[in-house]
Amino acid sequence: MSRNLSLPSPEKQQAYRSTFLQWFKIYIHGMKTAFASRMAYRGDFFMSMFIMMVVELFGPLITLLIYHNGASFPGWERHEVLLLQGVFLLSRGIAFPFFMGMVWNTISRVQEGTYDLLLIKPRSILQMSIVTAFDSEDLGKLIGGILMFAYAMKSVPTPPFTNWVSFLLLFIFSLLSMFAFGLFMSGLGIVWIGNYRIYEIFMSVMDFGLYPRSIFNKLFQTIITWVIPISLLGSFPASALLGKEISGVLGAMLCAIGFLIFGLWFYHRMVRNYTSAGG
Amino acid sequence: MQALIERQQTKKAPPLFKAVIQSTYKENFAFRSSMAVSLIVQPIYFLVNYFIWQAVFQVNDTVSGFTLKTMLYYFAVSSLLGFLNWDNADGSLQWLVQTGRFITYQLRPVHYLYYSFFQKVGHRILAFWVEILPIIGFYLLFKIYPIPVMPIWALVSVSLSFVLSFLINYIIGTIAFWLVKTDGLRRAIMVIKDVCSGIFLPLTLFPSIIQKFLFILPFQFISYVPARVFMGSYELAGIKLSIPQIVGLQALMVVVTFFLNRLVWHLGIKRFTGVGA
Repeated sequence: MSRNLSLPSPEKQQAYRSTFLQWFKIYIHGMKTAFASRMAYRGDFFMSMFIMMVVELFGPLITLLIYHNGASFPGWERHEVLLLQGVFLLSRGIAFPFFMGMVWNTISRVQEGTYDLLLIKPRSILQMSIVTAFDSEDLGKLIGGILMFAYAMKSVPTPPFTNWVSFLLLFIFSLLSMFAFGLFMSGLGIVWIGNYRIYEIFMSVMDFGLYPRSIFNKLFQTIITWVIPISLLGSFPASALLGKEISGVLGAMLCAIGFLIFGLWFYHRMVRNYTSAGG
Repeated sequence: MQALIERQQTKKAPPLFKAVIQSTYKENFAFRSSMAVSLIVQPIYFLVNYFIWQAVFQVNDTVSGFTLKTMLYYFAVSSLLGFLNWDNADGSLQWLVQTGRFITYQLRPVHYLYYSFFQKVGHRILAFWVEILPIIGFYLLFKIYPIPVMPIWALVSVSLSFVLSFLINYIIGTIAFWLVKTDGLRRAIMVIKDVCSGIFLPLTLFPSIIQKFLFILPFQFISYVPARVFMGSYELAGIKLSIPQIVGLQALMVVVTFFLNRLVWHLGIKRFTGVGA
């Protein structure tokens, strides 16, 4: 069985390139392919997804055990900390399946020598790295995040509309920060060949975002707000939703934008440094 | 000259275990920068935990019998044990079975169990100076001295936990004979193992009913028991045992796990088929 392909004219191709819709279509196609290939080992897929969900709940488990033993984080009720962690996990749950896979994708392709295949495609290398990296297993993280967020919200009085608006705005910045993290990791993956432990470095740094910002000392509070916008991953959006007083949020948002711009610059710089060995 | 050649020819090959340890050490030495990532990751994890417990102990003097000092000591010791006990016996075995390359190990004059164990020894010797020693240095900056109260018992307990963690991982790897691809299942068991072994938190923080369940599982002997032996006292689920008693129980668990390992292997190997070598 053969299939004939009629390629669109170069003008049409150019027009397609510039549309976001086309980008989206390609992404959906990448998702379908990723699902299809993962379904070869269906049992393992569902098990992995379930585990991803369970692993995500480990941070909240520590919180529950701390409060179970009569201890607490100063100034934070149990359900408030759980909400913070729910927001953090929700952000991570969106980031990991939908675009964070580019990190693993980049590292493995650079190591195998198949990164060149992405570079010769008529799309930007960043787009191709994301499209070919949809991680269906990580949907478990998203489910875990949603469950945690929903569970925590049950114990919180219904927030007013303005709190929701602030929360959504900060949550978008949280996703931008996650994306910037992904860019840095992918960029590092190009030059630090075959080192999958790059993930671990960033995951450990992100751990600062899983707990209330107030538990850290002034120096670390400054670092996670003004240098690496980790506070935006959980602490700030959750505080906005709870109506807690927060300081330095504008600075953190500016920092997130700067972090993203620097991440994009770093990523493209590392791509330029890439030296191919195959073709 | 002739005498030298003859001497070289008659020179005995190094013992098998030594050869495996040496080759694994050399092989992984090439990837030492990957191993050294722990020198960034572990201090960050420690700092996060330091702030968590510092905040918690601002409100309470003790949590489940632990003070801030003993909690940090526990965290430091269990993290060092984590580095010492780490191995990929499960992943390697699963990969060999999945790709069919396991057949080449069946033809070798050494059982894969021992080959894999000595690979772990070689790998961990490298980890000792690349990961463990620098991290001990980092802990010293925080005035945490991972010195055991009873050094001989601690040494015995750590050695037993080293063997036990390998045997458990090996059993997990053996599941590949039935399921071929076991990434998800392995990850599941690893998470359960890590949580139940007390590598992240002392097991006494869990509710008492869960502690009773954790007491009968073998996982506590990987991290919680050696860490408590370091501290010089043992308690779980309201059961207090002396150090010789708990180390004896740990040794018994190693023996039981070894025989369980052999049984699972015996049943699993019958299912393996491979073509070519």
